[in-house]
Amino acid sequence: MKIIASTYLSSKGAYLNGEKIVQFTDENWLKACYQHLALDYPKFYKMDNLSKMAVLGVELLANSGIFSQIDTNDLELLFANSNASQHTDLKFIDSYTVAKNPSPSLFVYTLPNILTGELAIKHKWYGENSFYISPNFDAQLFATKIHQAYKKGVNYCLCGWIDSKLEANSTLSEESFLFLVALNEENASLHQEIEQLMTQYNQKEKE
Amino acid sequence: MNNTVYLSYGTFVSPLGVGIEANFNALKNGESGVQLQPKSGFNQEDWYFSKINTLPENRYDTLLKLALADLKKQYSTAVLQDAQTLFIVSSTKGNIDALPNDVFASSREIIQKETNNPNNVIIISNACISGVLAINAAADYIQFSGYKTVIVIGIDVVSDFVLYGFQSLYALSDAPVQPFDKNRKGISLGEACGIVVLSKDQPSNFSVEYLGGASSNDANHISGPSRTGEGLFRAINKTIERNSIDKTNIDFISAHGTGTLYNDEMESIAFNRCELAHIPLNSLKGYFGHTLGAAGVIETLVAMFSIEHQLLFANKGFEELGTSQPLSIVQSTHSSSVKTVLKTASGFGGGNAALLIRALS
Repeated sequence: MKIIASTYLSSKGAYLNGEKIVQFTDENWLKACYQHLALDYPKFYKMDNLSKMAVLGVELLANSGIFSQIDTNDLELLFANSNASQHTDLKFIDSYTVAKNPSPSLFVYTLPNILTGELAIKHKWYGENSFYISPNFDAQLFATKIHQAYKKGVNYCLCGWIDSKLEANSTLSEESFLFLVALNEENASLHQEIEQLMTQYNQKEKE
Repeated sequence: MNNTVYLSYGTFVSPLGVGIEANFNALKNGESGVQLQPKSGFNQEDWYFSKINTLPENRYDTLLKLALADLKKQYSTAVLQDAQTLFIVSSTKGNIDALPNDVFASSREIIQKETNNPNNVIIISNACISGVLAINAAADYIQFSGYKTVIVIGIDVVSDFVLYGFQSLYALSDAPVQPFDKNRKGISLGEACGIVVLSKDQPSNFSVEYLGGASSNDANHISGPSRTGEGLFRAINKTIERNSIDKTNIDFISAHGTGTLYNDEMESIAFNRCELAHIPLNSLKGYFGHTLGAAGVIETLVAMFSIEHQLLFANKGFEELGTSQPLSIVQSTHSSSVKTVLKTASGFGGGNAALLIRALS
């Protein structure tokens, strides 16, 4: 098992395979990223932040040409975050408690796995999908799931930690870390490699 | 080497009762938890849903504790706290009253406190296919990751949040749900907690063989089912292929059948594309409502009832077929030879999942 590509996005900037692609100064960094990538996908504006972060991260990977080099027919999507759809949940609650009109367009995003649905739609990926919730980024969870997929004959896993978390001071802490893994052979140190990659991105972001 | 994964009863808490026996007996008698809930809607509309009336405040946490208490009557402390025992929770919303805090924190805390299990609790939140996915994931942890026992807890409760949400989508029925029927009008929600136990060693109580499962995305729409049933078609085919099972050996299909026009129509298309339309099929939503993250688990428990008691349960609420493609809906609860069962689920986000279980030979 080998990590063949990765991206990291946060309000600070976008990174591809360890290199900074663009720095964000705009408060609306998701829109800035969409514009930087010259993406033409009007549905993007209807999405919640989790789906936006996932779509942008995958677009960065797609632009690098990596998906055209692999067979995406059985691409398995393994995603996780810490707070499910917390941000959209709160907005939906506001729609019926404050605005007195429950919003269907918010309600449909009150599930974290909607983002894997959005990716499947955009890229026509019909493979297995699953969404896990762990209190913090858990490299071992991903490594274990990847190992299981390998044993079942899956060739590629696209893994993602797409997190949008409301901090105690009411600010949103958001990050999107995606990595694509080729499942060609066993790799006992995969979880360390995943952990290191996340640590590197978190350090680069602070630079 | 024996690679069999065994699936046995944990517990079952629903409006029909607490425990496996209570739910089996109520189901056999045709009882339903789906009842009129006056003024439950956002504008004080009357909706039907399946509610556990005995749950007080803090309903999610109380339900989880109630289910674990029953589980502890059947499984020893030694098994529950073993490092080779893993807990997986399947839930769409967790304890939603905890917002803005982590809605899944209480699940982890309660399970660890009640069982003293040392492992991180795995949480799967993947809309209405969560339960089937969780059982499939549990088998992976046994077959490939060294666990001896994996306990899968499917749980969700009805909340204003979820009720108003489905109301806003015009997805609720103003009469009790009628899956696959020509007069079906939509969903009746429900709440339940189901627990199944997967194990490497054959348990002493009743068990079946877990054969395998798979999932697939429709790649079509986030909240509407595929018109071609693509994801469900693929999930079923992948499940069958992976297990080298002859389709003709499937005796019964426990379908999803939410009672919405589009979902049930999609399922009829997928089952026909899979050439399974002649196999007896039902939806259990007429008894329990749509219990979201619990659905896949409680419906697997009922599939185990069918194998243990050689009994098929009527698709409650069904009178006349209302899908464009033929289906063999179970119209009355009756004895039948049931050895191999296909369980399916479909949900928001375009997810579809399936699993196969079989009587022990």
